Amino acid sequence: MNVRPISSEPAYEVVWPLGRSHWDMRAPNERVPDLRGKTICEIWDHVFRGERIFPLIRETLQKRYPGIRFVEYDKLGDTHGPHQKEVLAALPGLLKQYGCDAVISGVGA
Amino acid sequence: MVERAGYPTVSIVSSGFLKQAEVVARGLGLPDLPIAHYPGVPMTDSVEELQRKVEHELIPQIIRGITAQEVVTFTQTAAPDPAPRDVVFRGTLDEVGEHFYSNQWSDGLPIIPPTLERIERFLRYTDRAADEVIGICPPDNREATVWNIAVTGVIAGCRPEYMPLLIAVVEAVTDPEYRMQDAGSTPGWESLIVVNGPIVKDLDFNCGASVMRVGRQANTSVGRFLRLVLRNMSGFRFAPGAGDKGSIGQSFLVALAEDEDAVRQIGWQPFSADRGFKAGDNIVTVQSVVGISPPVYTGSEKATEHARILAEVIGGSCTYWSPVGIAYGKWHPLLLLGPSIAKVFAQEGWSKDDLRKYLYDNVTMRASDAERYAYYVGLTDFSLADKVKQGIVPAVYHESDDPERLIPVFQKPEWIGIVVAGDPGRNQSKGYCSNHVQGPPVSKAVRLPRDWNQLLAKIRG
Repeated sequence: MNVRPISSEPAYEVVWPLGRSHWDMRAPNERVPDLRGKTICEIWDHVFRGERIFPLIRETLQKRYPGIRFVEYDKLGDTHGPHQKEVLAALPGLLKQYGCDAVISGVGA
Repeated sequence: MVERAGYPTVSIVSSGFLKQAEVVARGLGLPDLPIAHYPGVPMTDSVEELQRKVEHELIPQIIRGITAQEVVTFTQTAAPDPAPRDVVFRGTLDEVGEHFYSNQWSDGLPIIPPTLERIERFLRYTDRAADEVIGICPPDNREATVWNIAVTGVIAGCRPEYMPLLIAVVEAVTDPEYRMQDAGSTPGWESLIVVNGPIVKDLDFNCGASVMRVGRQANTSVGRFLRLVLRNMSGFRFAPGAGDKGSIGQSFLVALAEDEDAVRQIGWQPFSADRGFKAGDNIVTVQSVVGISPPVYTGSEKATEHARILAEVIGGSCTYWSPVGIAYGKWHPLLLLGPSIAKVFAQEGWSKDDLRKYLYDNVTMRASDAERYAYYVGLTDFSLADKVKQGIVPAVYHESDDPERLIPVFQKPEWIGIVVAGDPGRNQSKGYCSNHVQGPPVSKAVRLPRDWNQLLAKIRG
């Protein structure tokens, strides 16, 4: 803030143009070190080939982690669709109802 | 939000969106949110390539994102944001401009330095407290206050007397209905501000020839103001910044003022009344625009001849985007009707609703095209049958499985907006194609200060 004018031009003292951040910063939740026997919920925004990507993920993780269970994305609603507000509002309740241990969310592309 | 609900999450993001993911995560207060990176562009990969990438590159990151406790990078002791009245820089006009540009606080054009004195001039045009929070601006989730609306108005080159309208614009875009968080999506849509009421003349907006051109201070600076709000409050920046994923994008649109004299003369109601307000109220409406039609010249003393060409050209130019509107069950294209054209319709006894109905009835597309276009936008599981089954669109969109069947382009006649403005001496109209649920029209009343008339008289005196 300390640039001195090098000519006879006036100097302007200006303020910050941004706004205060609404959210406090925090760390992500504790992870799930062992996926055996765990319930994984899928959240999909119904774009960008998630209909192919999620089944591949399920198949691979089911081979690797005995007892892992998936709650597929059609149970949780379209997070980008015409009812986005309602779907997002219902998510915490549904994740609890399904006994979710962790979430895979996609697809941003 | 799932993390905030207590669940460990990993998010799948492709290469081109990683920076935007960082912006969104930071804006939600979770800068260290685990991301699993899909390398490349999923929409252009073959099935085999997609499978290979998912199995060999994406899944290991997904596993790591859910299972591994990473070191957090944010610190609770980060420097606090400056207070509103803190002077953050001192310099000449050029030095201030360079400082703002290098911090990505400006749009590449020269700015008016936001000094305390200039901001105070803006605050005289509102009765609202400077620290009142008008709205939160996602994805950065910064607070838009009366104060920083004034700051942005100064920077944009607005006049102080625009302040009540600037506040109304921010009220509109921070309304959750508008979905401001989507203003950086890949279609590169822009926000169009429509102004109605006596304020059009009070503030010297142009509503005649060249209505959508840069050049009149009110129209131009108010349009620029909103783009700066999206940059600085919402965080939509492109390289070297991030957050704005408009693939090609477009420039800010000047604010559009309706020619209410022309509307009144033909016995129609203004756009603000279509939006549910009283004719003569000061109203701003903001909506998204993904594309603009060619200029459409229509002629004849017969309304149907005008309607036919409007349907062919404006309907035609909106057709490609119609399936996206169908997918989300919401779409509000806008018809900017030249005053001489509106006059012909009115003289032939047509109302705005009659014109809307004509467009709805006469603009169609093939079902197979709708599904094909939607797929390549990225809606890879789009199906008209499903959308009808889910109740998102009516049965007319799936009366059979015949891919050659014709379906309506405009979902609902009442969703077609009509604004009368432009050159009264020419027979030209234009279509503004909106972007589904992202940026539907949201209207807000302009709250004037108690002494508005005295303030205006002082400016004019």
